[in-house]
Amino acid sequence: MSLIQIKDLNKHFNVLNRREGLGGAFLDLFSGDYNIVRAVDGVSFDIEAGEMIGYIGPNGAGKSTTIKMMTGILKPSSGAILVNGFPPHANRIRQAQIMGVVFGQRTQLWWDLPVIESFKILKDIYRVDQKTFDDHMGLFNELVGLKQLYKQQVRTLSLGQRMLCDITASFLHNPQVVFLDEPTIGLDISVKAKMRTVIKELNQTRNTTIILTTHDLGDVEALCRRIIIIDKGKVLFDGDVKKVNALFGAYRTLKVQVNDFDESTLKALAGQMIQHFGTNNGISISEVEKHWTDITIDQARTPLADVLSFVMTNFPVHDVRIVEISMENVVQKVYDGALS
Amino acid sequence: MHRITRYLRLYFLIEAQYIKARMQYRADFIISSIGMFFSSLATLGIFWILFGSITELAGWNFMEMVFIYAFYMIAISPMQIIFDHFWQLRYHVTEGTFLKYYFRPLNMMFYYISEMFDLKGLTQLAAGIVLLVYASIQLNIQWTIARVMLLLASLFSASLVQIAVVVSASCAAFWVMNSWPVLSLAWKLREFSPYPMSIFDGAFRVLFTYVIPIGFVAFYPSQIFLRPEQVSPLAYASPLVGIGLFALAYRIWTLGVNSYTGTGS
Repeated sequence: MSLIQIKDLNKHFNVLNRREGLGGAFLDLFSGDYNIVRAVDGVSFDIEAGEMIGYIGPNGAGKSTTIKMMTGILKPSSGAILVNGFPPHANRIRQAQIMGVVFGQRTQLWWDLPVIESFKILKDIYRVDQKTFDDHMGLFNELVGLKQLYKQQVRTLSLGQRMLCDITASFLHNPQVVFLDEPTIGLDISVKAKMRTVIKELNQTRNTTIILTTHDLGDVEALCRRIIIIDKGKVLFDGDVKKVNALFGAYRTLKVQVNDFDESTLKALAGQMIQHFGTNNGISISEVEKHWTDITIDQARTPLADVLSFVMTNFPVHDVRIVEISMENVVQKVYDGALS
Repeated sequence: MHRITRYLRLYFLIEAQYIKARMQYRADFIISSIGMFFSSLATLGIFWILFGSITELAGWNFMEMVFIYAFYMIAISPMQIIFDHFWQLRYHVTEGTFLKYYFRPLNMMFYYISEMFDLKGLTQLAAGIVLLVYASIQLNIQWTIARVMLLLASLFSASLVQIAVVVSASCAAFWVMNSWPVLSLAWKLREFSPYPMSIFDGAFRVLFTYVIPIGFVAFYPSQIFLRPEQVSPLAYASPLVGIGLFALAYRIWTLGVNSYTGTGS
């Protein structure tokens, strides 16, 4: 039996059609003019124990609503949802014991308490025995050096430190499934990398099922084997992340700012690239922004690092940026039939 | 039973930590406690001025009023100390921070209230107890063990009335965008509770007795101890009122919690 089974899941909200202005607001009081918003519209998928799923989609796609149904906050309008064999909404307390949740940047720790005290309270709430607790804290200390934060009040932690603590907390009771909603948003690269290592480690060593919603396609690429793309309440794609990788994973745009830039720079760059990497190099060059040269690279054909080092050694580079393809672009490409 | 001891244990664990953390802000604690103490006494000052020109208020003398007020101070303390977090429910609901209360394997109301413990309310409780003892000595009230038990039961149910009123009013936040008017009404009504209901004119008396029964926070239950010989049957209804109202408030809370959809993330 799959750990999570979702069949024809729907969540509809009745939203009042609001009129404009003060008079409109007054008329709205007596209005029965509702619009049905299909936040989740006929979603079906199964998730096996131990899977790590990237659940992605643009803003307002219905991700949060699905997660809220899986965690038992919202009751589905229709359709079936079973987590570990039970409908979450009807069994909230029992389900909470087997779930861990990290919801965006809102901490679930006790704001005024030192970190370690928060963990001790959670130990009691989830009835975690001393040995499991010590092992868990030891593991996190090893992975991210958690011990040095023990005495600090949660309110004094940086965003990155707090997210690490929240993730530690969400795994404390060895849940069967952990929901991570935007765990890396707003974090700098080194903390992001740490976070990914930790998540991967826990998924592998404990076989914890992880459902990751994120805007950062890098997270999905680094962590997940399966990806579910949702838009306008419907599943657009459900399958191997490698397939989707072709749309976002392989492409990076290297933006470089070269000293004394002019028309000839662009030509010289293109020419030397062909000389160095061959004609079928998957590299295209254009000037999109003033003074910035965009080098879009298909990493399946030419590694980004090679291009970067080539440019750095051969041109007087002033500044460099690497940009990933955006979520909206990916969804658009899926609509355009890129995966079918 | 096992469940109750588990929750009590958790409650003490969380509150001990919370108090320890709060104690680091000692000035904050001392100043707010002093403030609490004087604002409690302010109403007594009003009585004192009032009784400078009259000898009885609707048939109740000064010391009887002090007794009712002391009863009131004790009865509202559990709301103040244990359920204080309810005043902030509307912020959690509108900002989406309320979501986290769904994620623990605990009763949600328990988890919600456990996050705050209002220390300064203890000053009010202590002042109320001192005042009640003082007034009952002055009034020469005869205490037997049975009557002390009755007093404790009455205080318990009276505090449930106060808790139920605030909990229900706070829960308006689940359905109303700006629930402050509802909450501030609950706050203002509280100030009417230490007065004899007989001073209010018909409509208000009915309102305070049957609709938003703040009369049961202090006045009706106090009568049992002040004038046992002429108690209105309503006074003996007060334990039922307390338990019934709290059950109703809990139901409203459950409905609210189940209808909450959160904010976008």
